[in-house]
Amino acid sequence: MTVSTSTSSPPRKRNWHSLQASETRLAWGLISPTAIIVFGLVLFPAFFSIWISFHQVTLRNLNDVFHAPFIGFDNYRSVFTDFAFKYHNLLNMGAAVTSVVYSFLATIFTVIVGLIAALLLNKPFRGRGLSRATFLFPYVAPIVSVAFIWRWLLDPRPSGVLNDLLMRLNLIHMPKAYLATRGLALVLVIIFEAWRYFPFAMLMILARLQAIDSTLYEAADVDGASTWSKFLYITMPELRYIVGAIFLLRLIWTFNKFDDIFLLTGGGFGTNVLPVLTYQFSFKMFNFGKGAATAMILLLALIIFLAAYILVVMRNVEEA
Amino acid sequence: MTTYQGSTEKRTFIDHLAHWITWPRFIFAVAMSFFLTSILFPFYWMLASSFKTYAEIGGRHPVYIPHALRLDAYAELFNPSNPSFWNFGHNIINSLEVSIPTALIAVILSTLGAYAIARLHFRGKNLLLNSVLAIYLFPGILLIIPLFAMLSQIGGKLGFNVQDNLGVLVFTYLAQTLPVALYMLTNYFRTIPTEIEQAGLIDGCTRLEVIWRITIPLAIPALISVSIYTFMIAWNEFLYALVFLNSRTMFTIPIQINTIFNDPSPRPNVVMAASTIASVPVIILFLALERFLEKGLSAGGVKG
Repeated sequence: MTVSTSTSSPPRKRNWHSLQASETRLAWGLISPTAIIVFGLVLFPAFFSIWISFHQVTLRNLNDVFHAPFIGFDNYRSVFTDFAFKYHNLLNMGAAVTSVVYSFLATIFTVIVGLIAALLLNKPFRGRGLSRATFLFPYVAPIVSVAFIWRWLLDPRPSGVLNDLLMRLNLIHMPKAYLATRGLALVLVIIFEAWRYFPFAMLMILARLQAIDSTLYEAADVDGASTWSKFLYITMPELRYIVGAIFLLRLIWTFNKFDDIFLLTGGGFGTNVLPVLTYQFSFKMFNFGKGAATAMILLLALIIFLAAYILVVMRNVEEA
Repeated sequence: MTTYQGSTEKRTFIDHLAHWITWPRFIFAVAMSFFLTSILFPFYWMLASSFKTYAEIGGRHPVYIPHALRLDAYAELFNPSNPSFWNFGHNIINSLEVSIPTALIAVILSTLGAYAIARLHFRGKNLLLNSVLAIYLFPGILLIIPLFAMLSQIGGKLGFNVQDNLGVLVFTYLAQTLPVALYMLTNYFRTIPTEIEQAGLIDGCTRLEVIWRITIPLAIPALISVSIYTFMIAWNEFLYALVFLNSRTMFTIPIQINTIFNDPSPRPNVVMAASTIASVPVIILFLALERFLEKGLSAGGVKG
């Protein structure tokens, strides 16, 4: 991400009719529609969400939400003691632990697959443009389509593609319900995430790879370095910051992702995560206060990730 | 890699292959085939399944190649005389009614905003840009509860219905797409040299004329890619549409596909036909404008 290098003009006396003042007015005029929509529909709701999490808001008093009774930390207590939230055992980790396990593993896997894909596409070969475009398909197609393709491939009936393949290879004898098996479902959801989101990591890494000074590799060739050591001592250090940035961005997005798990498993079979739990509390049980309290945990995590992002990535960008 | 050039012997194909294949090439070929198969097969499966009959779908074994291009599934979606007609044409229109206004409004507003940030000097500019970017990271699931409560209140006061209102959906999509549109366009405007605009200003154009006559024509590629992105985000969006839309006649494509999928008598060929219809426009748009788009994808970090 680029850092702005605007040349700041020296402070002048502000005058309503001066050129600078009219420019400022024009600038605010141009930016205000965007700013109003973004702040009004994002920033205000975010604060309102904090307020809701301390009040009893259900379907009954939704139309009169500002007079909802204050109930302190009751919503939070109710979330923390909820069966779906708490850790039970390895196959039933509860939404909080599952969220952490799922988002870290999925992000690591996504970045690794993205890195491999970027390395594959880095050197010119016949059909590179077409391959690169194909690699982006999972990322641009609607989530609903790809999630249902996967459910159809993993269909529990013997006519499911994976069941058929594994049965033909004699690896299994009975058809399996992959997305309805605890443990396996979580693994498959993580693989799905890597399949869908690796193109994002790939594009960013590829852009960085193309920018590496080729003389570094030429010098290494002169010294007789192997492909592996060139990768380890030239490519990886050059990619360090971009990989860190991608990791954090993807971690934030994966942690907050609702659609993928909701569509693949509906949050069942040990795959329930906090965003899906938020949805269930709010729009299945219509306990908006409890839902908002769950979302606050997401907000807290987001703030921690954002702080990490600013500390790690922004600082490095400025150094570079 | 050593090549054996200049050998006068005629080589057989196997010899040729043996010389061409080196370990790096072998690994490359294996990895490339793995990637291409695991990406293309699911999409092939979607397309192939959509042309299957119910008999082919419900058999004991999967049918890898459909016997003929049967339009049974598409008839269920579009043909009103079909017993399980889904009126999918209506859903396509709803999706277009949401996505096109979102794309157009987002491009217009973000062009103005990005111009202000890229070209004009005012206090709080960087703070504004950074906070818009930070806001971009706010997840939809966090905002959906307060938005729902807030918009019901406003709707009650102003007398419009929040549920089943495509206009409300456009507004919420704008909040999701404007930050990235603003960011992408700001970066693009910064790459356009200011000299041309300076000349325009000296010649007596106002700022707005400069934007209209100089900046926008120069930024056409960026404007196209931003509008495609915002279109794609709105076209693919699931959560907000799921919460805000209740009646089947107002459903956008993703929600209708979810409904078809959760039908008591599941018909995967119909789900795949609907999914094909949802995916094909975005993939075609993407392929047609790939050159503009890839740069934007990596520059803007489009949320997905």
